[in-house]
Amino acid sequence: MVHDAQMDYYGTRLATCSSDRTVKIFDVKNGGQILVADLRGHEGPVWQVAWAHPMFGNILASCSYDRKVIIWKEENGAWDKMYEYCGHESSVNSVCWGPYDFGLILACGSSDGAISLLTFTGDQQWDVKKISNAHTIGCNAVSWAPAVVPGSLIDQPSGQKPNYIKRFVSGGCDNLVKLWKEEDGQWKEDQKLEAHSDWVRDVGWAPSIGLPTSTIASCSQDGRVFIWTCDDPAGNTWTAKLLHKFSDVVWHVSWSITGNILAVSGGDNKVAYTL
Amino acid sequence: MEELDVEPAITNIPAASDGKHLGFAWGPGDILAYETLYMAPGMCRHQHKPLSMFSHSCAKGSGCSFIHEVRKDEDIYSPILRKLFNESHHIFVGLQTIREDLPSKNKKTQFVSISKNYRSVIRACMEELQQVAASVLVLQVSILLAIELIWNLCEVLFIDAAPAGPLLLHLLDWVRLHKGDVDEKAREVLQSESPAEHHDYWDVVVSYVLQGRFEEARQMLVKQATLQPAARNMYKLMDTLLSKMPFYNPGGTQTLTEFDVKWRHWHEEVDRCLQDNSFASNQHLEIICKILVGDEDTLLEHKELLSTWYHFLVTRLLFCHPTVKPTELHYYAQSCMTMFLDLRSVPEPLDSILLAAFEFDIHQVIKDCSIALNNWWFVAHLTDLLDHCKLLQSHNLHFGSNLREFLLLEYASGLFTHHSLWQLAVDYFDNCPEFGHVYLELQIERVPLDTERKALKVLRICEQRQMSEQVRSICKIMAMRALRNNRLGSALSWSIRAKDAAFATLISERFLQDYCARGTFSDLDLIDNLGPAMLLSDRLTFLVKYREFHKLYEENRFSEAAKLLLSLITAKIAPRSFWMTLLTDALPLLEQKEVSHSAHCALHCGFGHDLCFSKHT
Repeated sequence: MVHDAQMDYYGTRLATCSSDRTVKIFDVKNGGQILVADLRGHEGPVWQVAWAHPMFGNILASCSYDRKVIIWKEENGAWDKMYEYCGHESSVNSVCWGPYDFGLILACGSSDGAISLLTFTGDQQWDVKKISNAHTIGCNAVSWAPAVVPGSLIDQPSGQKPNYIKRFVSGGCDNLVKLWKEEDGQWKEDQKLEAHSDWVRDVGWAPSIGLPTSTIASCSQDGRVFIWTCDDPAGNTWTAKLLHKFSDVVWHVSWSITGNILAVSGGDNKVAYTL
Repeated sequence: MEELDVEPAITNIPAASDGKHLGFAWGPGDILAYETLYMAPGMCRHQHKPLSMFSHSCAKGSGCSFIHEVRKDEDIYSPILRKLFNESHHIFVGLQTIREDLPSKNKKTQFVSISKNYRSVIRACMEELQQVAASVLVLQVSILLAIELIWNLCEVLFIDAAPAGPLLLHLLDWVRLHKGDVDEKAREVLQSESPAEHHDYWDVVVSYVLQGRFEEARQMLVKQATLQPAARNMYKLMDTLLSKMPFYNPGGTQTLTEFDVKWRHWHEEVDRCLQDNSFASNQHLEIICKILVGDEDTLLEHKELLSTWYHFLVTRLLFCHPTVKPTELHYYAQSCMTMFLDLRSVPEPLDSILLAAFEFDIHQVIKDCSIALNNWWFVAHLTDLLDHCKLLQSHNLHFGSNLREFLLLEYASGLFTHHSLWQLAVDYFDNCPEFGHVYLELQIERVPLDTERKALKVLRICEQRQMSEQVRSICKIMAMRALRNNRLGSALSWSIRAKDAAFATLISERFLQDYCARGTFSDLDLIDNLGPAMLLSDRLTFLVKYREFHKLYEENRFSEAAKLLLSLITAKIAPRSFWMTLLTDALPLLEQKEVSHSAHCALHCGFGHDLCFSKHT
C-alpha cells in the first residue's frame, strides 16, 4: 500500500513510500519508470516522503510509524542514510522541508503531540529543536510558509543573510490549526485557529504570489476544508472561509506550484480542483 | 473562477479498486494519483495494535500499488501542434508591440490582419494533420476546425464589427469557407462525362444558390439549359433572376436604404414568378425559385445540403433580410437553431458557443470555450486579441487578475512543463503585468537543469529580468553539482556568478587543500583571470594572490614575490591553516639576494609579528 508519492522539483524523479517499510525512488524522465533505489531502514509503514531543494543535492526525508525520521542522500550515484532522528515517542506522521532560503531545515509532526525541527548545521551535524505538546493527542501535518523578507524589499548586500522570519503551520488531533514563529532562536505558538470539529488531517500554506496576503488550507475528519487568509503583513488577523463540506473525511490538501489550484483528496475518492 | 456554475469534468482513474482511497501529489504539470488506504496513523497507537497489523493488510498480492500519471494536456506533446504553439507565439509577441497611440481605424485593420494570421496558422496546422491521416488525429482535426470556425465568427462580429450591409457579406464568406464539400462535389460533377446528368448535379446547383454563389450556379444551369432546348425560356428567366439579385457594395455610393429598396423590388419580382407558376413544370427550378424568395419550408427541406443551423441562418438572412443589423442577429440565430435542430437533439457545445457569439456575449463565448476545450491555447490568444481591441470588460477573478491575464497565465503555465516549449511561455509571462513575473519566478525554478547549456539559458532569462533569487538558486545548484563531481573550476565560476561569498570561500578552501595535498593548483586559467571577481570573498582573494605569488616566484621576480607575500601575511586574509605554509614559502626568499634589504627586514618583522599573533590567539 503506497502511502505517499512525491515528484522531485523537476519532475524527473519520483519517491514513493509504503506499508512495506520501504522508500523507493524512480527515474521518470521521458515517460520512463526505472527503479533507482530501494531504501530500507524503517521498521514500520512509512507515511510520508519529502524532497529537499536541489541546491542541497539529492536529499529525501521519510517518516514512519516506527517513530523515526530518516534523511537520505545521494552521493556518487548511491543513496544512503544521511541522518536518522529518533527523538519522538510515537509515529511520525508528517515531514516538510522549509524554504531553501532558511537552509536545510525539516519540520516533523508526530503522534506524541510534538513537532521537531531539524536544521543541518554542516559537517553531518544536525541541530534539533523540539516543540513539545504542540497538539494534544497528536500532530498530523506540518507545512512551511514561503520565505518572505519582512519590511523593505531592498536587496540585502550579497553574502549577508536577510532577516527572514521562519513560520510554519501545523494541524493536529486537538482539532486545531496552529501557526508557529521563530523568535530569537525559539519557536513560539503564534496563532491558534479554531474551526474544525474533528481531527485536522492536513494543512498547506499556499505559495506566495507577491501579494501581502497569506493563505492556508486545512482539511479535517469533519469533512470540511477551510481556507484561512490573513491580509496584514504582521500576520495577526486570520479569517476562515469554508471552501466545501464533503460527505466523508478529507485526508489531504495540496497547493499547485503557483497556488491557484488547491487539490483536495477525500474519502469519497474524488480529487477536486478549486481555483 | 467564481462564475463557474457548471459541474466540473470528471476524469476516471482506471483500476482504482473498491474500498481503496485515491492519494495524489502534484508534479510539474501533472498529477500523480495512486491507490492507498487512508488511516489515521495516530489511531494505531491508541489501539495499541502491534506493527504486524499492517503486514496483514498489505500481504503480498493484495493491494497492488499503481501510480497513475494524470496529465492535463497532451497537446503540447504533439509534434504538429508544436508548430501552432511556436507560430502563434510569434504573432502574440508582435501583437503586444502595437502602439497604443495609433488611430483606432488603423488599429482595427491591424487587429483584423492579426486575427487572420492566427487563423491561417490554425488552417496550416489542420492541413498538416489531415495529411498524416491517422485515425487518432481525426478528433484533433475536427477540434481545430471548430476552433477556426469560432475564431472566424468572432473576427467578423467582434473585431471587424461589420455593420448592417457588409455584415451579411462577411457571414456569407464565413459559411462558404467552412463548407468545403460543395467544391469537391462540383469538381466531381464537372469532371464527369455529362455533368447535367450527374446524380449530384442539382445538389451542386442548389448548394451554390444556398451560399449565394450565383455566378457558379448560373454557369452550371447553362449546361442543363443546353440539354433542354424546349425549356429554354424558363432557364433564361431563372438566369435573369439570378443575375439581377442585388448585393450590397460596401465600397460603392449606394446607401443601405437604397440597396434595401432595390432588393425588395427584386424580391417581389421573384415572388411574382412563383405566383405565375413560371417554373411550375420544372420541379428543380421551382425549388430554386422558392429558395430565392426565402421560403423557410423549402430551405428546411434541404437540411442535408445546409448541414448546419448556422448555414441555414445565413442563407435565410440572405434571402429574407440581407440588411440585418448586428443587434438583430441573436433573434434570428435562436429561431434558426430551434427550427433546424430536431426537438430531440441536444445542442452541442459548439452550438452554444456560436449562439453566444451571435448574441455578442463575448464572456460567455470565452467561458464556454474554456470548458469545452482541454487546452488553453485558443481562449488565451483570442481573449488577448479581444482585449487589445478593448472589447473585454475587466472581469475580476477572485485572486485579482483580469480575464485576459488569467487565461494567458494558465496557458503559459501549461507550456512550462514541456522540455522546449517552456521558452515560449516566458514571453507570455512577460506580458502579464500583474502576476506574470511571480508566476515566472515560481515556474522557472522547476525547469530541469540537465545540461550546462540549458542552465545558462535559464540563467540568462532570469538575469534579464532581475530575478536575483532565482539566479542565486540556479547558480548554487550548478555549483553544488560541480563540486560533487570534483569540478572545482566550474563550481567556482558558478558561485562567482551567484555572488555567493560563502560558497566561494568553501571552494577556495578546497583549492587550497588540493594545493597542500598535491603541490599544484588546478584550473589555473580561471584563477589567473578572475579580475575584480576575486574580491567576492577574502578566501578567494587570498587564493588568487597566493597563486600570483607562486607565479612571480617561478618567473624569478623575487622582490615582487616577497612584497606580495608580505602583504599577504600582514593583510591577514590568509587562513590560519596556511600560516605555516606561508612562512615556509618565505624562507627561500630570505636567501635571495634580490630581495631588498627593507623587504628582508619587513619579512622578518612580519614573521615575528605573525608568531606573536599566533601566540596570543
